[in-house]
Amino acid sequence: MRLLSTTDPLPHQPPAGSNIINSSSRSSDTNAEDTEDVIDFGFKTVPRQQKEALVGQVFSNVASSYDIMNDLMSGGLHRLWKHRLVETLAPFAGMQHLDVAGGTGDVAFRVLRAIQTAEQIDRQQPQQWQAQQPQQQPGQQQQQQQQQQGAVTVFDINAEMLEVGKQRARAQGLATGLSWVQGNAEQLPFPDACMDSYTVAFGIRNVTDRHAALCEAHRVLRRGGRLLCLEFSQVSLPLLRQVYDAYSFNVIPKIGGLVAHDEASYQYLVESIRQFPDQESWADQIRDAGFKAVTYENLTGGVVAIHSGFKL
Amino acid sequence: MCQAAAGSTPQQQQSAAGSTAAVLDEALLAKLVCPLAKTPLRYDVEEQLLINDELGVGYPVVNGVPYLMPMRGRMLHQEGQEEGQQAGHS
Repeated sequence: MRLLSTTDPLPHQPPAGSNIINSSSRSSDTNAEDTEDVIDFGFKTVPRQQKEALVGQVFSNVASSYDIMNDLMSGGLHRLWKHRLVETLAPFAGMQHLDVAGGTGDVAFRVLRAIQTAEQIDRQQPQQWQAQQPQQQPGQQQQQQQQQQGAVTVFDINAEMLEVGKQRARAQGLATGLSWVQGNAEQLPFPDACMDSYTVAFGIRNVTDRHAALCEAHRVLRRGGRLLCLEFSQVSLPLLRQVYDAYSFNVIPKIGGLVAHDEASYQYLVESIRQFPDQESWADQIRDAGFKAVTYENLTGGVVAIHSGFKL
Repeated sequence: MCQAAAGSTPQQQQSAAGSTAAVLDEALLAKLVCPLAKTPLRYDVEEQLLINDELGVGYPVVNGVPYLMPMRGRMLHQEGQEEGQQAGHS
């Protein structure tokens, strides 16, 4: 596979070199540049049509070492963040869940286990459960609820990440209730109102058209369904910010070079974090897609945030 | 558009040969629709394609994983055309 370069000319573009602008300034929080032909790729600016392929290369490169690098880069903190995400989600028996950009399965496995735990509890206490259900349509309703099993769909645009995820699932003995689908978050291959919940953990910042992805999330959720987004955000405390910046730009790419033999991809990852909107701006963008009761919770001083929205 | 090989690799195709996991799960099929038209898909087990008959587009299934990117859609019944339609979507 030929390495795609950001200087490759597109048919309608001017010659190589003139497309790329190295900018040290952050792009605006609004999606103003999304209406133009260029978009951020970390601190670089690239033709909009190229971003998807460039991001794809990054994740194909990092897929095999993705989980190790997460542990190294975050000092294991990513596990706590994901635990908090799933805790907030509070999976229930029979939940139909979609985990987007979740290729290696970290969040999906946690959700599936939580669903299965809830279902196990239900099975062990059937008498109490049935007594609490309304008797409006006794036979049909109870039959439907008893029969529907929880299901988690792992959705990712990158085949290598999905493959790593499938291997991890096999290694952990997870099979029933888990599905793997490749596709684009901007155009989900699921019908309207089919999901109870939607998570995206450390994936939305890599999507070219985030508004489209949010609208698709809104479309596939049932009424009452919940969107939960775990993503790097902006650290507000000045001292913590300096430490975080120094660590991010000086340490992480070097670790990437040593462990994953790919400093450039981790440079992109670090830069893409800085380009992502801050907590309030992102909450506004989620509202723009139709979500209600949008809130967020900062973790680790704002290094990451969990944004929540409901389809009502 | 230049497209990175996000689809099947030789490794995946090798592992798909003879694997019982190569066939798409019917339960999953019930939950999938065409990413463009959002209409149900027909599963062609022999060709390992998910087909939208209305649009004449087929999406590949590799090792049990459906590849439902619009870019991966292949126009059926048209010779020599590999990449799928974009339907005006950039």
